[in-house]
Amino acid sequence: MQEIIRIDRVWKEYMMGDVLFQALKNINTTISEGELTAIIGPSGSGKSTLMHIIGLLDKPTRGNVYIQGKDVSKIPDDKLSMLRNEFVGFVFQQFNLINKLTILENILLPTIYTRKELKYNPEEKARYLIQRFGLGGKEQSYPNKISGGQQQRVAIARSLIMEPKLILADEPTGNLDSKSGVEILKLLKELNKEEGITIVIVTHDKNVADQTKRTIEIQDGEIIK
Amino acid sequence: MKYFIFIISTSLKDLYRNKMRTFLTSLGILIGVASVVLLLSFGLGLKEYIKGQFDSLGTNLVFVIPGQIFGNSGGFQGMRSAVQFDERDLVSLRKLREAIYIIPIFSKSVKVEGNAKTDFATLTATTDEIFPARNLEIEFGRLFDKPEVDKRTRVIVIGPKVVEKLYDNPILALNKSLDIEGQTFKIIGILRAKGGGGFGGPDFDKFVYMPMKTGYALNTEKKIAQFLVKAPDNIPFAQFKAEVKDQMLKRYKEDEVTVADSAEFISTISSIFAILNSVLVGIGAVSLIVGGIGIMNIMYVSVTERIREIGIRRALGATEKDILYQFLSESVLLSLLGGFMGLGVSFAVVAIVQKFFPAYVDLMSSVIALGTSSFIGIFFGVFPARKAAALSPIDAIRYE
Repeated sequence: MQEIIRIDRVWKEYMMGDVLFQALKNINTTISEGELTAIIGPSGSGKSTLMHIIGLLDKPTRGNVYIQGKDVSKIPDDKLSMLRNEFVGFVFQQFNLINKLTILENILLPTIYTRKELKYNPEEKARYLIQRFGLGGKEQSYPNKISGGQQQRVAIARSLIMEPKLILADEPTGNLDSKSGVEILKLLKELNKEEGITIVIVTHDKNVADQTKRTIEIQDGEIIK
Repeated sequence: MKYFIFIISTSLKDLYRNKMRTFLTSLGILIGVASVVLLLSFGLGLKEYIKGQFDSLGTNLVFVIPGQIFGNSGGFQGMRSAVQFDERDLVSLRKLREAIYIIPIFSKSVKVEGNAKTDFATLTATTDEIFPARNLEIEFGRLFDKPEVDKRTRVIVIGPKVVEKLYDNPILALNKSLDIEGQTFKIIGILRAKGGGGFGGPDFDKFVYMPMKTGYALNTEKKIAQFLVKAPDNIPFAQFKAEVKDQMLKRYKEDEVTVADSAEFISTISSIFAILNSVLVGIGAVSLIVGGIGIMNIMYVSVTERIREIGIRRALGATEKDILYQFLSESVLLSLLGGFMGLGVSFAVVAIVQKFFPAYVDLMSSVIALGTSSFIGIFFGVFPARKAAALSPIDAIRYE
């Protein structure tokens, strides 16, 4: 399988007051196209930091990040934004929908910022995703008027609107009841299996990690398994 | 294009969502723009009015006035010399045979009594040539003529407002007597209303005209306040004006007499208004700056309120510039909204005021007002917008 992301000797260090804090220490890993991977670790282990680096939201202090073989650790902010827009779809624990925008507007938001010529009609695609995820009739609703499970499905629809190669889900079930959690996980697995989208799930929950094909275990900023 | 529509519509929605805050924030700009535009429109109106007064006297006029009334720096000096003209000057000026007319004017504020009522009016003792020169027309009765001027006939022609105040009906006033400072004159004519007055300019309808020498009864020193000389068309105006001046300089020193034309008055008035306008615009500019600071303040609040939203947008692919433009368009729209409202208020006020004051809003001040408000929106919006754009996506999205 073709390599989609390669993390090469990545370090992430912060100054916390006068103390140097090492969030990631010499991380090396590769994620291939079509994989369903879990990054698991206790809180403070560095798993979210790793996800932010994979998702191009943060830059490593040292080391390189390769996206489809291209080093992106030093590219300027606007290029990084474009890459984020086209290449990655995010699903967050807090859903991170914009409450003043309707469901439809939230899903369409990434298409506004794209510099890429889209080969499809974004609104038609958004409406298709709304139907597919059982949100029909909620197009003009606002996020705070629907349930947590529905909000997370809107977030997944938003992450798919740009047809990304990679979906990064940061504790996607963390804010949901168990039934909704199971549904969301099922949905992510379906997307991976049926559409071949590479999915990386960051979680502290072993039950979630057990449902993925591959698990990267991280502790104190280091990959231990 | 779609992108800019999105940016502007997002900003408009955000402004609409906080209607009260939007209104209060743009109020500063509204007041600033309205004050600048209104002050300019009043200034323009007054200037046009004064210019109109000179224009109504006709062209090719030379004003001969005692003293040096124009200062060296362009304004009116306001200082009158001790020199006062008299009949000798009239005789001297009449040597300029080519002049179409030479009108001596003596003017004074007087108390008038008639029909057992009292009023105040402006007495003008002059010649019959004043009527065509000031475009004065008779409504009832007749004007006085040259023989009456020469013979010191005790006749007067009065403005309609004097009649209105003292006699209920103009017909009742005609051929009646009117006492001016204890002396009696016969009303032979009533002028057609001419308007004017009310804001510093003379109210021609409150004038009382009498033959010059008849006026000596009330002007015991036999002084003449000024001469109005009409130049002929067949001599270059500047040359004629120089001849008038030479004639006056035979008796007076250079700084004791002013020989001027309406262009000089108008240019002096224009320069005074230019100074006045810059002071007024300066005052207005202060309120615009205050309004701009208000916008900056609210935009900083808005950035802080929306840090998480900024983080989400950045995660979804918005560049620093996208965020910058979003906040900048909001501040510009906020400021422009104030600008448009200010302009609206100005038009409304001017429409009301126009009934009794010749104010008007010109295109230039509207364009400047809107241009300035856009500039203020950009200038005061750029700092908060840059703060928003500079937020790190990861810090912003984690912000609670």
